[in-house]
Amino acid sequence: MKRIIAVSVALVLGSVFAFAAGKYSGKYTFGGSTTVQPIANVAIEQFVKANPDVKISYEGLGSGTGLKQLAEGTISLAGSSRDLKQSELDSGLVPVVIARDALAVVVNKDIPVANLSREQLAGVYAGTIVNWKEVGGKDEPIVVVNRDETSGTYGAFKELVLDPAKLSFLKNAIVAKENGEVAAKVASTPGAVGYVGLGFVEEVTKAGGKALSIAGVLPAVKTALDNTYPLSRNLYVATKGAAKAGSVEKAFIDYLLSPRGKVIVKEAGFVPLK
Amino acid sequence: MKGFKRFLESGLERVFLVSALISIASVVLMTLFIFQRGLPLFREVSVLHFLFSPDWSPSNPAHPSYGILSFIVGALFVTFLSLAIAVPVGISTGIFLAEMAGHRIGAFLRSAVELLSGIPSVIYGLFGIAFVVPLIRLISGGSGYSVLSASIILAIMTLPTIVNMTEVSLRAVPGDLREGSWALGATKWQTVVGVLLPAARSGIITGVVLGMGRALGETMAVLLVGGNAPIMPTGPFSMVRTLTMNIITDMSYAEGTHLTALFTTAIVLFAFILGLNIFIQIALKQAVKEQTR
Repeated sequence: MKRIIAVSVALVLGSVFAFAAGKYSGKYTFGGSTTVQPIANVAIEQFVKANPDVKISYEGLGSGTGLKQLAEGTISLAGSSRDLKQSELDSGLVPVVIARDALAVVVNKDIPVANLSREQLAGVYAGTIVNWKEVGGKDEPIVVVNRDETSGTYGAFKELVLDPAKLSFLKNAIVAKENGEVAAKVASTPGAVGYVGLGFVEEVTKAGGKALSIAGVLPAVKTALDNTYPLSRNLYVATKGAAKAGSVEKAFIDYLLSPRGKVIVKEAGFVPLK
Repeated sequence: MKGFKRFLESGLERVFLVSALISIASVVLMTLFIFQRGLPLFREVSVLHFLFSPDWSPSNPAHPSYGILSFIVGALFVTFLSLAIAVPVGISTGIFLAEMAGHRIGAFLRSAVELLSGIPSVIYGLFGIAFVVPLIRLISGGSGYSVLSASIILAIMTLPTIVNMTEVSLRAVPGDLREGSWALGATKWQTVVGVLLPAARSGIITGVVLGMGRALGETMAVLLVGGNAPIMPTGPFSMVRTLTMNIITDMSYAEGTHLTALFTTAIVLFAFILGLNIFIQIALKQAVKEQTR
């Protein structure tokens, strides 16, 4: 009997201490890149569960606006899907890489082409290259599959492929709402090309399609991490000045880089850091 | 005992009144909500540009443009093409069920048509991807995601409404008209075309308009087979995005003016559906007048 009482007292105390372990409190506003948002949202949800006194929101402002508001002090942590500019670094913003974002270009199984240069890829998506024979394939019209304009994947592809070539997306393309829908449409439509997050390549290959190498490099976790794959980029969170030990921001960044954070990154379709 | 009965009576009356009020309130609230969220767009975009520009590029950083003309045209194109397929088939089926089918065939056909109306629209969409899109691809080349694919799927979806309304209105035609026609020596075909169809026309038109409403409001099925490119459709093999597709495509992450523009798109859709409903009301009144005459 005594033992039972002792155990239950220990349990009650334990749970009290467990709550006390959530030592952070207060209201925080994060914001920035919409690409980082799916990672941030899940991470915030988990973080707040462990620290019930904290309220955090993440506003999808876009990388530029987020960093600007961070510099102004409106928000205390900004997600960014691009490298920080020198001017932003000069104003005291400190970025931390939290994940890699890599896009794979996938095609239907009837396409013999195995590689595209960045210029060719930009041409295909701008509508200046309309037939596979122009890039070394057979005489077959290219069916372009694009994403909806508000998706982070659309933004990433535009930034990585079209912006450097100063081109814009052609309009006469199938618009799919999700990575999975791109995979399905590419796999089922002869002549189709689409792009998906690295995590979705398997869905296409399972259905008989394949991923193209870009500038001679195949998309893979390894090539995304060592930066040899051209359609990959860093995802950052930034703080104004290095995040101080003991602050919510520091704890949040540490959480993102922890093994559990990496699982969140992976589930959101990105590549966790080694 | 009598008191209890009266109490039950008045209690139930109130329950029904509240139920009626709930349905009215939800219509009013929804209308207010869409208009309240959608109208502010016109502070930034002119009504004319919104309705008559075919350029939809809300995420263009330098010059965002919010023109939905191609979606209006797309929606009407898809709807009317689907009716062009569904109306002849639907009315013929209705005539067959009402005038020609024997008891067993009729019962079988009727339950088959009813089954059609119970299938979820996403299933129609998947069926479209698996069968209709490859078929159109075979005929036209290109991707197969097109106005015609969407219209074929919508035609199948609107069939039950048209078939049912046609059958019901034909059955409601008074028997003396039918017998009179036969007595004058008209053949079955002459009776159907010359007497029954004209007599049942308001009911049939109502069915067609109801089907039109369904086609105009359908989202999931057309989203899967229409291609969803934000372009002006140039023919039946061109890709298409309708008003409903536009709302659903961008809704998940849209913000600011872009999000408002989606609600404004909903207002336009709402106006179309409202117009159709008013038309149905008038047609139905006409029908009642004809029946009582």
